[in-house]
Amino acid sequence: MNEEDVVSKLKEAFGDKVSEFKTAPRRVFFYAPPEYYKEVVRFLAEKLGFVHLQAITATDLGDEIEVMPHLGRGLTVSVRTRVPKDKPVVDSVVDVIPGASVHEREAHDMLGVEFRGNPNLTRILLPEDWPKGVYPLRRETKLTPPKPIRGGKE
Amino acid sequence: MSFSSSYERFFDIPIGPQHPALKEPILLKLIVEGEHVVAADVDVSYTHRGVERAMQERNYIQNIYLAERICGICNVAHTLCYCQNVEGLYDVEIPSRALYIRVLVEELARIHSHLLWLGVAAHEIGFDTLFMYIWRDRERVMDLIEEITGNRVTSAINTIGGVRRDIRPETCERCLKAMDYLEERTKYYKKVCETDPTVIARCTGVGILKLKDAIRLCAVGPTLRASNIKYDVRADDPYAVHDEVPFNVIVYDTNDTLARVLVRIDETLESINMVRYCIEHMPSGPVRVRLKLSPPVGEHLSRVEAPRGELIHYVKSNGTEKPERYKVRTPTFGNIPALCEMLTSKGDYVVNIADVPIAFASIDPCLSCTARVVMLEREKGKLWVGSLDGLRRWRGWG
Repeated sequence: MNEEDVVSKLKEAFGDKVSEFKTAPRRVFFYAPPEYYKEVVRFLAEKLGFVHLQAITATDLGDEIEVMPHLGRGLTVSVRTRVPKDKPVVDSVVDVIPGASVHEREAHDMLGVEFRGNPNLTRILLPEDWPKGVYPLRRETKLTPPKPIRGGKE
Repeated sequence: MSFSSSYERFFDIPIGPQHPALKEPILLKLIVEGEHVVAADVDVSYTHRGVERAMQERNYIQNIYLAERICGICNVAHTLCYCQNVEGLYDVEIPSRALYIRVLVEELARIHSHLLWLGVAAHEIGFDTLFMYIWRDRERVMDLIEEITGNRVTSAINTIGGVRRDIRPETCERCLKAMDYLEERTKYYKKVCETDPTVIARCTGVGILKLKDAIRLCAVGPTLRASNIKYDVRADDPYAVHDEVPFNVIVYDTNDTLARVLVRIDETLESINMVRYCIEHMPSGPVRVRLKLSPPVGEHLSRVEAPRGELIHYVKSNGTEKPERYKVRTPTFGNIPALCEMLTSKGDYVVNIADVPIAFASIDPCLSCTARVVMLEREKGKLWVGSLDGLRRWRGWG
C-alpha cells in the first residue's frame, strides 16, 4: 500500500470529514475532527493494518491543542485532530491499540490533554510533587532557570 | 489464575531507584506471591529533564548538541534522526559520501551498544568473565569511533547538511582490520551463548513476550524481533543509504531473553558486514552542504533504527531559527508496556524474582518514563490497572 492508496481509502470511507491531506515519501498527514478521530484510528488499525502506534505528538497551537498519533511501520500515517485549549478532551484509543497508553499519559502530563476512556491517565514523566495544572509544554508556562544550591547569587 | 506458591500473602518489593543492578535511576515495584511476581510496575519519572521544551528554546545548531545528550549510548542515532529531520524541512540533497559516513558511524555505534548490552546481560546472569571479555573487545569499537569522529562517546559527527569530518584511508584500513577481529570474537560469543549451560539456564523461557502481545503493546527493536516480527526501520523505511547497504533483518521465534541475546549478536554480525560494505563502496566527494540557519515553515517526521529500537523525532518549524515543536520518542518508552507484560506471571508462565533483573535488562532499558500498577484481585483471579494510591486504599494502608 502506498501513500495514494491510503489517501483514497480514507476519502472513500470518511468523505469530506477528513481533510488537509499532505503526503511525502512514506508519510501521510491529515486532519480528522475530534468527533471522528477515534473512528479514523480504528479504521486505520483494523481495516488498513496500521496496528503499530509510534508516538502521539501533542502541540500547543495557541487557542487549540493538536493531538497527532503516528501510526504504522513502514508507511507512517499521522492523524491530526485539534481540540480547544480550555477543554482539551479527546477520545482515548487505548481499547483499539493498548500500546497507546503510555503515549496518552505523556500527552496528558505535558499538555494536559484529557483522553476520555483511558483507565489509567496518571503521571508518567513528571515527578510526583509537580504542581497540578502546570503543563511544561504549554506556551503560557514559563521556564524558570535553576537556582544555585549554595554560594552564588540568585 | 492459579499460583503454585505456598505463601498466602502478597508482598511488595520495591527495587530502586538507587539500584544494585542498574546504573540509571528506576523504581521497579513488584508485587510477589512467594517467589513469583504477580504484578509489576515501573516508575522512571526520576530522569525527566525537559529536553523537548529545552529544544524549543534553542536554535537548530545548538539543538544538535542537545539531541546528542538525550542518550549517551545512542548519541549517533539521536543526532542522525535530528539532522535528517531538519534537512527534511529544507528539501535538500545530502552528499552521498556524507550519508555513507553516517551509516558507517551509526553501525559502529550499534556494534558498541549491542556489545555493551551483552556485557551487561552477562553480568546480570552472574557470568562476569563473559562480561569482562565482551567489554574488552568493545574497546576496539570505541577506539575506532574516537579515531573517526574525534570523540569516544558523544561523537558529534552528524550535523545539519552532512557530517563534520571526512574519513581518512588509513582509518578505513584499521577499521577493516578491527572488523575482522570483532567478527571472530562475536562468532565466539554466539557459540558461548548458544552452548553454555549457565546462559541457557538463565535465559531460556525468561521474560516471554508473545507475538500477539508484542504487536498489541507496540514493542520496538530487538524486543519485537525476538518475538518473530520482521520489522526494522532500516528495511521498512530506509533512510540515509540503507536502501543501498544490504543487510538481513534478524528474527527469532522463541520470544524469550535468549532470543533477544541472539538477535543482538546476529545484528552485531550484520553491522560488521555493513561497516565493511560502507568502507568498500564509499563514493568520493564533499561531506557537507551549508544550509541557512532558519529552515522554511513546515513539519517533518524522521525515524531511525537506534540500537534499542525505533526512534522517532518530529519537528514543526515556523520559519524562525527555533523549532516551534520538537518531539522525541525514545525506544525504551515504547517498550514499557511490553516490559510490564514480561514481568507478570500468567497461567503457566511464572516470573521468579531472580529472573527479574535479566528480564528487565532484556529490553535494553535506557530510561525515560512510566508509573503504573497492575492490581490483582485474588479471589476472582482478575487483573486491573490502577494507581499506587488506589492500591494503598485497597489494601488498607491509608
